[in-house]
Amino acid sequence: MREGVALCLKDLLIEWRSRDRVVSTLLFALLVVLVFHFALPGGATARTQENAPGLLWVAYILAALFGLGRAFSLELDNDAIAGLALAPVERGWIFLGKAAANLVILALAQAVTALAFALVFELDVFAVAGRLAGLVLLGSLGLCAIGTFFSAVAVRTRFREVMLPLLMLPLLVPVLSGAVRATTSLFETGSVPFDAVQLLIVTDAIYLIGSFLLFDFVVDE
Amino acid sequence: MIRASGILLALFFAATTWLVATAPTDSMQGAIQKILYVHVPCAFAAYAGFIVTGVSGALYLWRRDERFDWWALAGAEVGVVFCTLNIASGPIWARGTWGHWWAWDPRLTVTLILWFIYLAYLMLRSFTEGSERTARFAAVYGILALAAIPLNYYAIDLFGGAAMHPENLERDSLGAGMRLPFAASVLTGLIALWHLVTVRQDIARRHAEVPEITG
Repeated sequence: MREGVALCLKDLLIEWRSRDRVVSTLLFALLVVLVFHFALPGGATARTQENAPGLLWVAYILAALFGLGRAFSLELDNDAIAGLALAPVERGWIFLGKAAANLVILALAQAVTALAFALVFELDVFAVAGRLAGLVLLGSLGLCAIGTFFSAVAVRTRFREVMLPLLMLPLLVPVLSGAVRATTSLFETGSVPFDAVQLLIVTDAIYLIGSFLLFDFVVDE
Repeated sequence: MIRASGILLALFFAATTWLVATAPTDSMQGAIQKILYVHVPCAFAAYAGFIVTGVSGALYLWRRDERFDWWALAGAEVGVVFCTLNIASGPIWARGTWGHWWAWDPRLTVTLILWFIYLAYLMLRSFTEGSERTARFAAVYGILALAAIPLNYYAIDLFGGAAMHPENLERDSLGAGMRLPFAASVLTGLIALWHLVTVRQDIARRHAEVPEITG
């Protein structure tokens, strides 16, 4: 487990020094918000506010696809990925360390994107900030688990930028479905439905455990 | 080379065609209801193909025997063909009876997601270099995809629209005289799957034996 923490801190340190991924992911997410504004003209109406939670998750997933693609390309420099494969540690911890670093980087971009959504669609995010953060964390766990896992697969294929969304998106349906349902209800009624949270927790658990166990087969010998 | 499974398929296909042609016409839907005898067998064959892929993938990771990978590839390819036929025949029937081409009914949505998953599986195979790595990546994706099926079903059932497909397990929805042609068509679909999967894995074996043909 120590190795996983070390790998996570290593990724975050690289990110702290360059700030490449946070800045580019955030900028991308903000551009998506801008695109939504023009896709739903008329400003903050009842209709756009109703659709805003779903759009927020679309922005999060697009930002995650954009950022996660680079999670493992970092390790291609100087063939660092071979060093990781040779390290005498349980490979699952390598996966968890990477996924945790991705979660932190994505969370930073998500927080600012939520503020941008609040501005553009006039949503009162501060009234539900704590519960919204909890929901976003639950959704992002599954998103980062699947995303980090397939980033390691896609980085070893041709057309890796195309492969990541093709592999990820069909498996993200339960995450998206539960997260959008819960977020919509949170903004409309102020409460979160239990069945949606339950779906998110079960999906996160299955994806995290599955990726942890199968990661051994993804790293080349 | 003529295979026993091919002869069996030809016999069953001929018998089923005759049974379906002489089956009673549905009093409410008319002739369009006969799509049932193509639509449902294709779904069963597709699911069976995907199960072959999942199980063979897991066996490959366990035993690291190339032969399991040939079966996994065959199951996915043939499964996608049947899944495409199922998704294509559905809207024709739906337009005639429900009045629209498409409905986000749970069973329909899960089948569509499955179709995407196994197309991605085939893309992954063609974009990965090296037969050992391809087999490994594909097996891992196949296993995670199998885990996603119940999650997808649960998610869509929970939040999706009303179910339009009949719950056949709960109540008998076939009319008098339709059971035999229906059973025969399902059996023919599964024999077709079996035949095509064996042929496809045989081609994969030959490619592996003579790699210079495929490059």
